[in-house]
Amino acid sequence: MKRIIAVSIIALVALALIPQMHFAHAQVGQKESAKQYINLRAEVWNEFFRMTTAAFTVGAVVSGTMIWLVWRFRESHPKNKTPTRWEKLDDPTTGTYEKEGH
Amino acid sequence: MGHDTAEWVFVGIVIAILLYVGVDSWVVQKEVEEVPADAETIKVTGQQWFWSFEHQDGTKEISTLHLKKGHAYNFEIYGKDVMHSFNIPDWVVFEDVVPGHVNHAWFAPDQAGTYPIQCREYCGLLHYNMRGSLIVEDTP
Amino acid sequence: MVLELKKPRPIWQIMFSTHHTDVGLLYTVTGLSFLFMAGVLAMMIRTHLFFPGQNFLISDSVTFNRIFTVHGLTMLFLFALPVANGIGNYLVPIMVRYKDMAYPKLNAIAFWMNPIGGALLWLGFSDTSWVSYAPYSVIRAPGPAADMMIFGLKILGISSILSSINFIVTILKCKHPDLPLRKVPLFAWSMLTVSLMTLVAMPSYAAALIMLLTDRLGVSGFFNPTAGGDPIAYLHLFWFTFHPEVYIFLLPAIGMMYEIIPRFSRKPLYSTGSGVFAFVMLGLIGFASWGHHMYSTGMDFTTKVVFMIGTLAAVPASGMHVFNFLATMWGARIRFAAPMKFAVGGIALFFSAGAGGVLNSAMPLDFISHGTYWVVGHMHLFLTGTIAFGFVGMVYYMFPFITGRMYNEKLANIHFVMMLWGTVQVFFTQHLLGLEGMARRIYDYPPEYASWVQLNQIATVGAWILGGGFVAFLINLLYYSSKGKEANMDDPFGLGGKYYYPHTAKNPHHVGY
Repeated sequence: MKRIIAVSIIALVALALIPQMHFAHAQVGQKESAKQYINLRAEVWNEFFRMTTAAFTVGAVVSGTMIWLVWRFRESHPKNKTPTRWEKLDDPTTGTYEKEGH
Repeated sequence: MGHDTAEWVFVGIVIAILLYVGVDSWVVQKEVEEVPADAETIKVTGQQWFWSFEHQDGTKEISTLHLKKGHAYNFEIYGKDVMHSFNIPDWVVFEDVVPGHVNHAWFAPDQAGTYPIQCREYCGLLHYNMRGSLIVEDTP
Repeated sequence: MVLELKKPRPIWQIMFSTHHTDVGLLYTVTGLSFLFMAGVLAMMIRTHLFFPGQNFLISDSVTFNRIFTVHGLTMLFLFALPVANGIGNYLVPIMVRYKDMAYPKLNAIAFWMNPIGGALLWLGFSDTSWVSYAPYSVIRAPGPAADMMIFGLKILGISSILSSINFIVTILKCKHPDLPLRKVPLFAWSMLTVSLMTLVAMPSYAAALIMLLTDRLGVSGFFNPTAGGDPIAYLHLFWFTFHPEVYIFLLPAIGMMYEIIPRFSRKPLYSTGSGVFAFVMLGLIGFASWGHHMYSTGMDFTTKVVFMIGTLAAVPASGMHVFNFLATMWGARIRFAAPMKFAVGGIALFFSAGAGGVLNSAMPLDFISHGTYWVVGHMHLFLTGTIAFGFVGMVYYMFPFITGRMYNEKLANIHFVMMLWGTVQVFFTQHLLGLEGMARRIYDYPPEYASWVQLNQIATVGAWILGGGFVAFLINLLYYSSKGKEANMDDPFGLGGKYYYPHTAKNPHHVGY
């Protein structure tokens, strides 16, 4: 769990920084051409790329977690030979997390 | 770590990202909605299934729109029959044509060339062919 | 068990029964039949768009317009709603420990409206597009087709209101007194939420349909600008129903995943409380975002901001569901039988579609995405990627319970791989097509746009793969329900625990009805 939080925080920092680079880039570009109007399509597409950066960063974290989960906790994984403690119950899904102590 | 802490951290991260999305799109939208004061008005009329344009000086054009590079243009969008959507994909100009309403969109082309104009709201039989072209001329 | 192996009942006994499992079976079978019918239409559309300028499969644009209209209407109203209702009919009374639905006859009536509404939609074959935006559907849409669509949708709307009332009463009033509401399983919670949402959302569309009809008859002019009306009014009425309707389609699928994932993880759910909370939140916030479908109709800045916030507000609750699923799988010993595969695939695609949805809700991006194939890809990613995945997984999960036989696991595997691959290939490609500027609902596109041609061909191949997956599904449903191996009814998936809910269903109490 701690690792996930760490990865998420790094992702957040990256999220905060990458758009700044985009912003700087856009501003430099605008100064060079010195237009009197804002460049509508550049503004919108820059926004789009900032958003996709965010979406793909979060997506990488979530789907990475998911792929790891599916790989690690599949029944056939070597570390998963012994039944979990819930499987002793008649219906494992009716168990609780109380005894686990976390 | 408690049973719920992880979930709260997760929800917090999600909300932070959403705040970022919201604020950023607020800023950009505010910026792109501001029509320059010296923008020339072009009347656009959408009807089944072609576009017609009227310049500020009264010149009328059908299907092909001639504009000049480096000027700002403000489209006044009128509809005659059903809903359409005025769209120049290459210039991110997009606004619905709603009969009974006048809608607005603006842009300032900074590059000469020929660009497609299309209808982006379903309007019947020839919706797919409700195309025009925008010609941005290099003359200042 | 419903289809008894040893002493099969004649078909009419199932058809005219009012028992919840029989009605549930009828709902599910009807929904799946319409899925295949509308799927054929989808294949026609995609195949037609493989090359620009071709007309051998669909000869003219009217036919094309009719095909995508009926495809959309069928998938939404005759596949998504009936299958959710079908599974709900099966499981909700069992989950709240009642012998049947609260009003069995009303239940059967609500079901029998579906074939009638479906017949009206299919015989009319309207060309209004499923949203049937006002001035077109009032002044231009041809003949009896559009009117038949209005009546068909009217009937389907009444049907869904009736079944919602039934679910609400069953869950709230007929629940076993020993079972507190917070202990009711999450699938039943999802049905409760969507039923309440239907009751609030549906009337506005029902009104819009009547107004559309009188407008078409020429006796009123609500939406006709030449008669002093306003098309925007239709849009508001329509989307006030159909944005919440997105959640009405979605939440049962999420509920089904809540059923499948803990079972195959052999582990208790991470948190029932947060699941309930997220359902209720989505149920409320779903009503705060209909305007994001109308950013481009000339909405002012403030209204756009309000609807953007309303849209974004739904994301944390959706995220809580994803978190709940992942946390349940964490530290488990997961058996990846077919239902679990579909559930996990559904979560992955749910996340992708949700991320695309966040992009959609950002106001400036509307210039790029609205009305293009981006939106087509986005909403199909939700409907196929999440909703159909959840439903298909649940159908596989219920398969042994309903038929007493086992589906073919290998075939189900092929189905899963092809469906996942196909879904990703078609709908991700359609996102890109949208960015290239291709408008939706177009019969043809200019051959000189090379990127459109290429992306369309990639998408079409993906659609064929997706369709191939559903052929495997069809074989599984038709052949293995009558010729498959008999299932071990205590533990058909080899989980080592009890096959809990379906197993506790007593043999039919049809006698009284």
